[in-house]
Amino acid sequence: MTASPEIDLSVELGRLRLANPILVASGTFGYAREMAGIVDLGRLGGILPKTITQQPRPGNAPWRTIETTGGMLNSIGLDNDGIEAFVAHHLPYFVTLTTPIIVSIAGKTEDEFVEMARRLRDLPGIAALELNVSCPNVSAGTDFGKDPVKCHHVVAGVRAVATQPVIAKLTPNVSDIGTLAKAAGEAGADAISLINTVLGMAVDWKKRRPLLGNGMGGLSGPAIKPIALRMVYQAAQATRTPLIGIGGIATLDDCMEFFVAGASAVQIGTANFYNPTCTMTILDGLPGAIASLGAKSLHEIVGTLTLNPPKC
Amino acid sequence: MTAPVTSHDASHAQPHFADGCQFAKVTVAANDRLARDTYRLRVTFPGLARRIVPGQFVMVRLAGLNDPLLGRPLALYDTVVDAAGQVTGVEVVYRVMGKATARLSQYQAGQSVELWGPLGNAFSPAATEHLIMVAGGIGHTPFMALAKEFLGVRSYGQRRVERAGRVTLCYGERSAEYFAAVDAFRATGLDVRLSSDDGSLGHHGRVTDLLRQVLDENGNRGRVVCCGPEVMMAAVARLAAERSVPCQVSLETPMACGLGICFSCVAKVRQADGTYDYKRTCVEGPIFDAEKIEF
Ligand SMILES: Cc1cc2nc3c(=O)[nH]c(=O)nc-3n(C[C@H](O)[C@H](O)[C@H](O)COP(=O)(O)OP(=O)(O)OC[C@H]3O[C@@H](n4cnc5c(N)ncnc54)[C@H](O)[C@@H]3O)c2cc1C
Ligand SMILES: Cc1cc2nc3c(=O)[nH]c(=O)nc-3n(C[C@H](O)[C@H](O)[C@H](O)COP(=O)(O)O)c2cc1C
Ligand code: FES
Repeated sequence: MTASPEIDLSVELGRLRLANPILVASGTFGYAREMAGIVDLGRLGGILPKTITQQPRPGNAPWRTIETTGGMLNSIGLDNDGIEAFVAHHLPYFVTLTTPIIVSIAGKTEDEFVEMARRLRDLPGIAALELNVSCPNVSAGTDFGKDPVKCHHVVAGVRAVATQPVIAKLTPNVSDIGTLAKAAGEAGADAISLINTVLGMAVDWKKRRPLLGNGMGGLSGPAIKPIALRMVYQAAQATRTPLIGIGGIATLDDCMEFFVAGASAVQIGTANFYNPTCTMTILDGLPGAIASLGAKSLHEIVGTLTLNPPKC
Repeated sequence: MTAPVTSHDASHAQPHFADGCQFAKVTVAANDRLARDTYRLRVTFPGLARRIVPGQFVMVRLAGLNDPLLGRPLALYDTVVDAAGQVTGVEVVYRVMGKATARLSQYQAGQSVELWGPLGNAFSPAATEHLIMVAGGIGHTPFMALAKEFLGVRSYGQRRVERAGRVTLCYGERSAEYFAAVDAFRATGLDVRLSSDDGSLGHHGRVTDLLRQVLDENGNRGRVVCCGPEVMMAAVARLAAERSVPCQVSLETPMACGLGICFSCVAKVRQADGTYDYKRTCVEGPIFDAEKIEF
């Protein structure tokens, strides 16, 4: 498809401006350096390195991932070197990139989230923070993402100290995503990203044991796309805060579905594993797809889904 | 360094990022049965083939399918050289284990797979008087290219290794019908020794018996490289350690990306300070010094 230069792909997520809406999701793109040889990092709208925590975490015991029908379960367990190693060893590389880097952080407590945000204040190379209040693989990891009051607190707390725009990443493992999205928006989140993985399990019935070392894990990949689309749509009805759609996105069509359902941008996750250059293919076709709807900008098509009246 | 580094550090550990990696949808040139449940897949992919070296691997995915979804890691078996001497393609040899390999075994020439690589580090190119390759089952696959390289028959990528004084392959299978490419191994000129669990071919017993014999004969010289089931690699590593012979193993941890971005392929690796840490097999391996691995 030929590029249509007249199509405006830029995105405004509160105070965060991105050249285009195609981002890569935390935990599915390493620390970007790994992908520099196979993907043109400069073309991405944004990069989310793997979530960092205050202290180093070794992660969970193997097996850490299991392929399931149309998707995969993971229980990596936030394996990372901690915030100081991140600042010392990864940030210098990010500073050399032109692509906005959105640093994903996870705290065990509200204070820890705030402390981490304070540590990252004013550091060059960080375009925004994403609060991972939704990792299913660490005990208590999803607390903040399940309780609207706690979610509000942690977002407001980080917002008060952070010098960068703040994104709240929500879990799908709740009964009412709208309430959570509203809470995050009211607390001052510049944007809300959703969804993290869906809690699941794989079983070896012969051994009568779970297949993952950690018992349960998070489901991702094409299998979860309908859930993610539904939740983005519901969140879009509940809040005016810009949304970043995540979940099973692998193709240009997938991206367009999320935009129409209410996402201003998208993050590609698991697809990086099995189709490492898919982001480039999506970017090649994006202007043409927007133009095919008669629009001149991405902005015009976001949230334009109308529900058909039920026919009986 | 004071505190044990508990994880993989991208910038100072210098693992083998997939910097020269290429991704492409490629056509199957051939997919031939070699032995029971064992097939050799050949694809044309010059960019990848010119770079890959023994011990490295590629990820192979059944193009366009969401089930199986992920690629599967397969070691370089050999590269394909055309009549003009140009390196044009790669071969992998695989055993039918589950979903992806069962489907792949049905593929015909002309169908498409997606492939990316070269991935991972490589077997050490260090010169040795005797290179002893120990293979359990389908673990023999990385040794075809390595044997040719150390026998001076072929070279791979940019690297040039010094001819080994001797190259031996100790290769064990469950039974005779599983042995693949024994004639091809013999044709390279190496010393091939076989064992089978049921005694239907070669020595009736374990491949470690063959290794013990080789080390007895050569007075514990040279170095060992090993690939196969974990229990077998653990036994080989122990024997090599007892005889003070250096040993490298090729680990086969399950992988989702092969690129270093998912953190699923970890193995417990001993650090300089004696502590163990999870390392990504796809970027810091798959080849490790055996003494560093906790089996
Ligand atoms: C670097 C490397 C090189 C390799 N080279 C070769 C090669 O040259 N030839 C070759 O035949 N094989 C090779 N393998 C192994 C090969 O990748 C697997 O056999 C293949 O992925 C099986 O895929 P499948 O879909 O057929 O089987 P699957 O359906 O994925 O599973 C096969 C078996 O593995 C088990 N399994 C599934 N998932 C996991 C998990 N997460 N952790 C542990 N076990 C699991 C299953 O229970 C089942 O018994 C290599 C592996 C690595 C890491
Ligand atoms: C192996 C793996 C590791 C992940 N690690 C993280 C993480 O560290 N932090 C985070 O916020 N999300 C993490 N995620 C969730 C993804 O960012 C994403 O929200 C989820 O996988 C759904 O998108 P997908 O279907 O496109 O993968 C991880 C997902 C996978 C598959
Ligand atoms: S297989 Fe994904 S990090 Fe190694």
